[in-house]
Amino acid sequence: MADEILRRTPPAERTKVPGLSLRQYKAILRKDIVMELRTKEMVTSMGLYSLLTMVVYQIALSQSGSAFDPRTIAGGLLWLAFIFTSMLGLNRSLVHEKDQGCLEALLLSPVDRPVIYFAKASGNLIFLLIVETLTIPVFALMFLQQGGYGGSWWMIPLVLFAGSVGIAGVGTLLATMSVNTSGKDFVLTVLMVPLMYPLLLAAVSATSAAVLGGDGSISQFWSGIAGVAGYDAIMVLAAYALYEFVIGA
Amino acid sequence: MTDVCTDSAVEVRGLTRTFGVRKALDKVDFDLPRGAFLSVFGPNGAGKTTLVRILTTLSAPSKGTVKVCGLDVVEQSDKLRSKIGLISHNPLLYPDLTAEENLQFFADMYGVENPAQRARELLIAVELDHRRLDTVRTFSRGMLQRLSIARALLHRPEMLFLDEPYSGLDPHAMDILDNLIAQVRHDHTFVMISHDLDKGLELCSHALILARGKVVLSAPKEEIDVDDFKQTYRSTVGMGVA
Amino acid sequence: MKQLRIAIILLLIGGLLTTTAFFMAFFTAEVQQFGTVTVASELDTAFQLVSVGDNGFSYGRPWFSQKIFYFHVPVAEASFLVLLLSAVFAVRFLMTRKRSFDTKSRIAMETSLVFVILTMITGVLWTRASWGVWWEWEPRLTTYFIMMLMMIAYFVLRNSIEDEERRAVYGAAFAVLAAINAPISFMITRVLESNHPVVFQSGMASSNLLPFIVAQVGMLMVGYAVYALRMSEERLGERIDAAKEALEG
Repeated sequence: MADEILRRTPPAERTKVPGLSLRQYKAILRKDIVMELRTKEMVTSMGLYSLLTMVVYQIALSQSGSAFDPRTIAGGLLWLAFIFTSMLGLNRSLVHEKDQGCLEALLLSPVDRPVIYFAKASGNLIFLLIVETLTIPVFALMFLQQGGYGGSWWMIPLVLFAGSVGIAGVGTLLATMSVNTSGKDFVLTVLMVPLMYPLLLAAVSATSAAVLGGDGSISQFWSGIAGVAGYDAIMVLAAYALYEFVIGA
Repeated sequence: MTDVCTDSAVEVRGLTRTFGVRKALDKVDFDLPRGAFLSVFGPNGAGKTTLVRILTTLSAPSKGTVKVCGLDVVEQSDKLRSKIGLISHNPLLYPDLTAEENLQFFADMYGVENPAQRARELLIAVELDHRRLDTVRTFSRGMLQRLSIARALLHRPEMLFLDEPYSGLDPHAMDILDNLIAQVRHDHTFVMISHDLDKGLELCSHALILARGKVVLSAPKEEIDVDDFKQTYRSTVGMGVA
Repeated sequence: MKQLRIAIILLLIGGLLTTTAFFMAFFTAEVQQFGTVTVASELDTAFQLVSVGDNGFSYGRPWFSQKIFYFHVPVAEASFLVLLLSAVFAVRFLMTRKRSFDTKSRIAMETSLVFVILTMITGVLWTRASWGVWWEWEPRLTTYFIMMLMMIAYFVLRNSIEDEERRAVYGAAFAVLAAINAPISFMITRVLESNHPVVFQSGMASSNLLPFIVAQVGMLMVGYAVYALRMSEERLGERIDAAKEALEG
């Protein structure tokens, strides 16, 4: 057998590789995407979950009568589906890392801890956006046939993206904690929902403005977006700062 | 070989690891020369895992200084991480990735040049090339262990840490592991945690017994009388968890 | 032991001040007015009647439920301050890894939870007296509700982790997130509409300001005393643990 392959490097040859962080970031993100394409575990379970939520909504609204316009609560219904769906995915994404001690192997490599955070959060953001994109048309078809859409077309994608950044950003930190606890999913829910309150409130306000349109909807939309963006900026920064402590514990 | 790695591969001085009143490690001192093979013995809860976690930069000491390969585990952790590898009883591999993808992924994490080529040559070296496109989920315990050795050697580390690498292996897989360790033995320093006294003593050049976070015995193999050693080890087992 | 003595003294003084404020609120503080009531004929009433020509007489409508303000607001402020204190200790813990800071942070969180629950109770009494409902999803009440949920989540998180140090690190990280999230919730709910009274907007009469300040000082003392008492109890427990450890070794 080629003995040279198993040899160590002479110490003098070691140099700091430039651009390593970016390479590591891409490697983690690519790995998560490859694994997801192979197992389709997260997107399938999240997608199915959000479909089930639609059924529950139908039951909830079944006695509301024809005078009731579901558009008035569309924003709330959508974000409710997204927040609970996201927790399913976040939990999965960190369980993968824990499973065979892979997280430990990751921490043993010369990687800056924030790189792990941003890579995992980006992966979660991508999967969340995919599920949201699949959910919206179904939701619109089932609940928003009469009345139509009041705002401009770009409003919904904008608020979806802004809101999902916060969910993925804070959720990745929380899932990293909850995956190490004895009631994983339950703990994640308990931690996540109250922390997400301001984000959801602002996102629902902006989404409702976009769906309903009409007078003042533009200013309501932008103040909602401002709220979401402010939350994203502060909370993602905090999550990033805390991640190193949490992942090393 | 005029790098920072001088005579000592590991230099531990007054290492204490506490949280509240609990002492996982209590004033641990020892040295390990380069090229040595250290076996760490001790009952459960003696602090073996904590010690290895500190040596591999995964935890920080509460007090004392620890140098591995001449590098401080806290101040120079980043540099140190690319000089050490870990083989654990956990495979530390992603079950849903193929053998090749796993190795390439970790090669990227270590910034290895030509990751594809390096992964391939290691797969050949551990005789898993024919399974390189299969997901790791389908591998047997012995194959997993071989692949995890390949993973640990990807970045050509100077030191290897073995965390009970033999647990859960059948005799055949143990032979293969022995064989692989023998091949890399001559130019790596080893630290191994073990429950198996005979195996640990057979492989080692130095031995260390920990109990309740303290060093009970630390000596080169030449100075060890096997029966005395076993007696000392047994006396610590009764000491329970610190 | 010195701290224990101070705590007991502060508890006594704080209790005295709060009780004083309670009496002042009823006997010396002016009754605030909330709109006017117009009556057709002159009534025998304690309030000053103003003739409004042909339309009869009017008097300022007394706003008795405002009295709860002397307790509700100091308690709410104390709870918030103690939460901040908890977060400060959490940060210091993360920096130093000394368990004493973790204990302080946890005890502060406990104290804050007690005060948040008191805020909720006085708040619910207020909404009942003032608006005629037991619960109103009014932004600030909601925010306190969210704070309460975050604090409960903090203890759920801690209780679901076996390893002591990990428990402390995760607890600290969540305490920091909760303390950052609480003011964001306040701000976001203020951007949206609120019908919670903003008291200092128009200034207060000095007869009202005095009991408020007395209550505020008293409540902070009680807050500190509760914290210090729990701390000394906790220290005692730690000493017992240390003694046990020493005996075994």
